[in-house]
Amino acid sequence: MKNLLSFFKGNTPATVGTIIVLVFVLLSVLAPWITPYDANKRVARGHQPPSAEYIMGTTRSGKDVLSQVIYAGRISLLVGFGAGLIATIIAVLVGITSAYAGGRVDAFLMFVTNVFLVMPGLPMIIVLAAFLGQVGPLSIALILGLFGWAGGARVLRAQALSIREKEFVTAAEVIGESKWRIVIVEMLPNMVSLIVGTFAGAALGAVMGQAALEFIGLGDPTVISWGTMLQWAQHNSALIVGAWWEAIVPGIAIALFAGGLTLFNMGMDQVSNPQLKGSKNLKRWKVLNDELEAQRKAKQAANKGKSHDGVMPV
Amino acid sequence: MGRFLGSRLLFYIAAFMVAVTFNFVLPRMMPGDPFEIMFAAAQGKIQPEQMAVLKEQFGFVAGPWHVQYWDYIKGIFSGDLGPSLTYYPTPVTEIISGALPWTVFLAGTSTLICLFIGILLGIFSAYNRGGKFDSIVAPALAFIGAFPQMVSAMLILFGLGVILNWFPVGYGYNPDVDAGWTLEFFMSVAYHAALPLLTMIICGIGGWLFLMRNSMINTLGEDYITMGKAKGLSTRRVMINYAARNAALPVVTAVAMALSFVVAGALIIELIYNYPGLGNEMLGAVASRDYPLLQGLLLIIVVCVLTANFIADLAYFWLDPRLRK
Repeated sequence: MKNLLSFFKGNTPATVGTIIVLVFVLLSVLAPWITPYDANKRVARGHQPPSAEYIMGTTRSGKDVLSQVIYAGRISLLVGFGAGLIATIIAVLVGITSAYAGGRVDAFLMFVTNVFLVMPGLPMIIVLAAFLGQVGPLSIALILGLFGWAGGARVLRAQALSIREKEFVTAAEVIGESKWRIVIVEMLPNMVSLIVGTFAGAALGAVMGQAALEFIGLGDPTVISWGTMLQWAQHNSALIVGAWWEAIVPGIAIALFAGGLTLFNMGMDQVSNPQLKGSKNLKRWKVLNDELEAQRKAKQAANKGKSHDGVMPV
Repeated sequence: MGRFLGSRLLFYIAAFMVAVTFNFVLPRMMPGDPFEIMFAAAQGKIQPEQMAVLKEQFGFVAGPWHVQYWDYIKGIFSGDLGPSLTYYPTPVTEIISGALPWTVFLAGTSTLICLFIGILLGIFSAYNRGGKFDSIVAPALAFIGAFPQMVSAMLILFGLGVILNWFPVGYGYNPDVDAGWTLEFFMSVAYHAALPLLTMIICGIGGWLFLMRNSMINTLGEDYITMGKAKGLSTRRVMINYAARNAALPVVTAVAMALSFVVAGALIIELIYNYPGLGNEMLGAVASRDYPLLQGLLLIIVVCVLTANFIADLAYFWLDPRLRK
């Protein structure tokens, strides 16, 4: 607990990001109790602008946008976290195996990783989903997870390679510990912040990927998620006819959640690489530097007042 | 030189073959007859004799998989990607060549502008570390860049296109203007491309700015920078010729990695702005289950991304003399 507190202290991005993500999780869990209306039912006339009764307006088919956006969070968050989990597991397996095994295994795994990195993921996923027909949230999570691990694998491999060279790993090898034990007990704990960062990054990509897939119309239109909400809004030309709330509300929801994950990821980066924590140290440095300059100027002024005694002002 | 570029070229060819294999395997993994699945949308449109030709071209022949695969690869490398089913009998290649320039224009122009502005601002930001620009404008741009492009595109479309009505919200050019090498046509194209380009640039700058800034900060600590300053070179010369040239290396590497995201972004942006291009064709192909067109689009997108990657490699080669041994 103490560790957790010290982690958030002084790490503004991580704190803000965690709060945003937690709020979304909470809203999704509490959806049945806090939504004012049934998200699936027609409750008013179509395209009612935001009012006291319908805080975020209604869709073209007269459903309450606020209730929909809260319920949609459930699916979008589940798909995001699910795909993030799948991608992270693959990334950890590939990254560490590659770094630890070396040689041909490493070359092969890195080739596969690089192919996945260079391939345009979204078009491939679109083609795959088009062959599958309309895909439900579960398939979307699976597909996005299978396509989203490559970047994480490369970062984790680099980290694992550098940890592998550390003395404590050599020591463990000399003692004769098994490879499994070395990887799990010695190496993994030192990579936790990177792994969590990989997870956040993959979840972020998955949330956006899901929204894009559903927006194109490859998702299941009967499921309420942020992507399908956007798809309906686009389908009904909501923006063109002036019903901005139908498109903007789910859009903002995705943006906020994505922003939360991004901030969290930045916070994790700061844990893995404290050098990035630049701004605060920089401010301190600036203050010190300014003080020094002021002192110098004062000295110079004092020196000028006195007769030159051979000391050059520096 | 030959070894570096040669190995990169081999990698791209291998990556292209992966995409071809992806296309080959997909219909065969689905339950049912793969040929029926691929050409379901063509029912009643295509004569049986032509069907037989298509069957051979797409490798749906009797025989073990490697025979089918070989036939399929031969079909692909003959340059004929088959007919589109929705626009039958227009060949897929014709539809693609009509749509490709728009997407290349959108993705290429926005990436170049983003890189140019992002790198310049990154240099500026790194040089004035901790200053107002570095601590306010740069993070703000990064935050905007973290927004999903879909959402930014919708907001910009709504604000500038619908409410203010400054820019058109659809099509590549005014249909009343004849397409051709006239100034009027170019103006129309530029006017219609304004919002999509603006969206892609606004979304993209933040990332490049930060990458360049961080890389630049690392470079500025090097001894040769101090040396350059000590020699009395102008600040501009030290910043651009000494620091920026070296700091740009990681940025160029990142360009190669970012290209697939740029293409994905362009596809989505085309949908929202109803802009002609591969993305719009892809949407149409998905909606009508026009699998030959869809597969052709995927192949061409892969080729574009790989080519752009190779160009990034060449740029890297030009920037880093160590590779030229």
